[in-house]
Amino acid sequence: MAPHDLRRQYKRPAISDQHRRRELSLRRQEQNRRDAQLQARRLASTLLSLEQASAEPDDVEIVPEFEPDLQSE
Amino acid sequence: VAGIELPHKQWPELIEALLSNTHQVVAHTKQATLETLGYICEEVSSEAIDQSEVNKILTAVVQGMNASEINNDVRLAATRALYNALGFAQANFSNDMERDYIMRVVCEATISPELRIRQAAFECLVAISSTYYEKLAPYIRDIFNITAKAIKEDEEPVALQAIEFWSSICDEETDILEEYGGDFTGDSDIPCFYFVKQALPALVPLLLETLLKQEEDQDQDEGAWNIAMAGGTCLGLVARTVCDDIVPLVMPFIEENITKPDWRQREAATYAFGSILEGPSADKLMPLVNVGLNFMLNALMTDPNNHVKDTTAWTLGRIFEFLHGSTLDTIITPANCPQIIKVLLHSMNDVPNVAEKACGALYFLAQGYEDVAQSSPLTPFFQDIIQALLNVTHRPDAGESRLRTAAYETLNEVVRCSTDETASMVLHLVPVIINELNQTFEAQNISSEERERQNELQGLLCGCLQVMIQKLGSSEPTRSLLLQTADQMMSLFLRVFGSKSATAHEEAMLAIGALAYSSGPDFAKYMQDFYRYLEMGLQDFEDYQVCAITVGVVGDLCRALEGNILPYCDGIMTQLLKNLSSNQLHRSVKPPIFSCFGDIALAIGENFEKYLVYAMPMLQGAAELSVRTSTDDDEDMIEYTNTLRNGILEAYSGIFQGFKGSTKIQLLMPYAPHVLQFLDSLFMGKDMDELVSKTAIGVLGDLADTLGSNAGPLIQQSVSSKDFLNECLSSDDHLIKESAEWAKLAISRAISF
Repeated sequence: MAPHDLRRQYKRPAISDQHRRRELSLRRQEQNRRDAQLQARRLASTLLSLEQASAEPDDVEIVPEFEPDLQSE
Repeated sequence: VAGIELPHKQWPELIEALLSNTHQVVAHTKQATLETLGYICEEVSSEAIDQSEVNKILTAVVQGMNASEINNDVRLAATRALYNALGFAQANFSNDMERDYIMRVVCEATISPELRIRQAAFECLVAISSTYYEKLAPYIRDIFNITAKAIKEDEEPVALQAIEFWSSICDEETDILEEYGGDFTGDSDIPCFYFVKQALPALVPLLLETLLKQEEDQDQDEGAWNIAMAGGTCLGLVARTVCDDIVPLVMPFIEENITKPDWRQREAATYAFGSILEGPSADKLMPLVNVGLNFMLNALMTDPNNHVKDTTAWTLGRIFEFLHGSTLDTIITPANCPQIIKVLLHSMNDVPNVAEKACGALYFLAQGYEDVAQSSPLTPFFQDIIQALLNVTHRPDAGESRLRTAAYETLNEVVRCSTDETASMVLHLVPVIINELNQTFEAQNISSEERERQNELQGLLCGCLQVMIQKLGSSEPTRSLLLQTADQMMSLFLRVFGSKSATAHEEAMLAIGALAYSSGPDFAKYMQDFYRYLEMGLQDFEDYQVCAITVGVVGDLCRALEGNILPYCDGIMTQLLKNLSSNQLHRSVKPPIFSCFGDIALAIGENFEKYLVYAMPMLQGAAELSVRTSTDDDEDMIEYTNTLRNGILEAYSGIFQGFKGSTKIQLLMPYAPHVLQFLDSLFMGKDMDELVSKTAIGVLGDLADTLGSNAGPLIQQSVSSKDFLNECLSSDDHLIKESAEWAKLAISRAISF
């Protein structure tokens, strides 16, 4: 039975910069993946909306389902 | 041997045989028996031993601990055995009489004349504080008295455990209060008894007293741990637990000691101040910090004692960490900012431990300006700051006290939080760091110790370049200027893979991912040389972080190269599939591998065809597993399950989107029923987190969009296409709602034909 080590962090930040670099990279990659998927969906839904609109000639106003703004999230 | 056999219900007579030994008169046998019982409790899970045997073990152990046991070695072995057996004693701690008895014996052992017994008994109390917090109320007054006496009078190893008891109680109460989430009616199973708050008036003076027991030069010794350090750490935890209430109890101590001639008093006062900066409200602290700031800046410049300066710089860092930022009424003003920077830069020339803390303080000062949009108050000093940090990295003593690491890390934060105003200065820094990295390869025939230092430095420099690539690559025109150095950087990163350091590999891999993202299709020219290292990274099961990072880089490459990644996909997919099948690879890497399937499929479209037969059964197996484990109570497991589900769903999204418009969509039809069934199971399981809901409803849309009318009847049969979709359409989360709108549109088209 090894003696219990009770040393705690002393005058050290809770998160190291190395940890932060890793976390920020993972976050960037996740964001890039979501952006890529979202972009594909927004493009498809704009086309679908146009398609539906043209199938209904009475409806003159064409409103795309989503704003083509890729900045959000 | 017991560790192997008992879980399989083999060797059933062992415990009885050992217990019969505890009646032995021979002390040695008794001691060895108790030690063995302790080892068994440490090794074997609680399910492997019946409650009746647990009862007997505890009886034997507690008898051995009793004050009537005259042999100290036996009593010590029994006390240590109890420490290991505590995890088995759930039932016994629920019984008032048994618990009273165990607690009495433990408390008596804390006043044994033998130091090792007292220490072991306090270790038991620490373990009890975290395992049986909710059972402590009847004993807490006595425990306070025992711990207070130990903290004041006992020898250091015992006093440290006594302090640890209160640190551990703080941890418990902070966790419980965090679960309450502020409304005090939350779903925490365990109520908070506010032991720390009740003990506060007596506990705080005890802890403050420990702060005066510093050791000379403790800041130069990385492994040091003593009563002053433990006391200050505990004070910090107390502040986090009771928040504002601690401030009036600590302030008189600070005021009384901060100007005393004895360095111990000045240091203790400063350490006390630094320790209570996390927890209390900004309103409470701001006036005090405003008064103290100038004093601290002055002390950092002029105090004759290094220990005081170290703690002062650390305290300044804590001030910037907790009381400076865009959302706060910051304590940093245009009037004091120049002086703060002047003092910190000056202190970077101080002894290594002080200079390291000054770098740390600058780190948080820069972080506070993270969200400034246009103009940063650091801009006028930017060049001086960069130069000072580079100078630190070149100090001959920068290897001491983590100084070089702190300087590079601060440089990273300064760059991360910089604005367009200073982009040209960051650009100029790139060739400087490239040059530094280049120089690390010049030294040949060096000792293993020097090699280790060299690898560490390479890791730091790659980290630095990664941060700069991310910063400069995120906007034009800095991106194109940065990319003029891409060839040089890439050739150096590849050389880093020649080292044997996992940390350096990880940093180089992260930097390469950032570079691929910034370069886009142009990254293709590096692929031939880079591919072998990519494969090596994917195979690095042992350093699973390297493997995880490399999986993420594959995603970056897919988005950068799109179809041009195809020639490398056979190798990558083979390795990823192997990794998924391996039980050696850390489980945390598996969900990102599934997401990576989605990245690859999205990049290569219908060319993913040949991998479907391997990837789909893997996804299906994992999906079934993730549904089966949904009833698990373990919080970590629930979190992991949701991460796994998200990975699986991202794979499906990428695959469906990748095949969109292809003539080969029929290849996906056989898998559609299962995907829909998976979505239905997730919906009916009712334990998805928001991210999984968003990804799941998105997959429904992707499936409908790609398969169209082919899947119309299947979609109509699924619960997801109705109830789940409706639930998501009325979600408050705009991302879930947006994905649901998409799914609704795609489904309506799929079923309209």
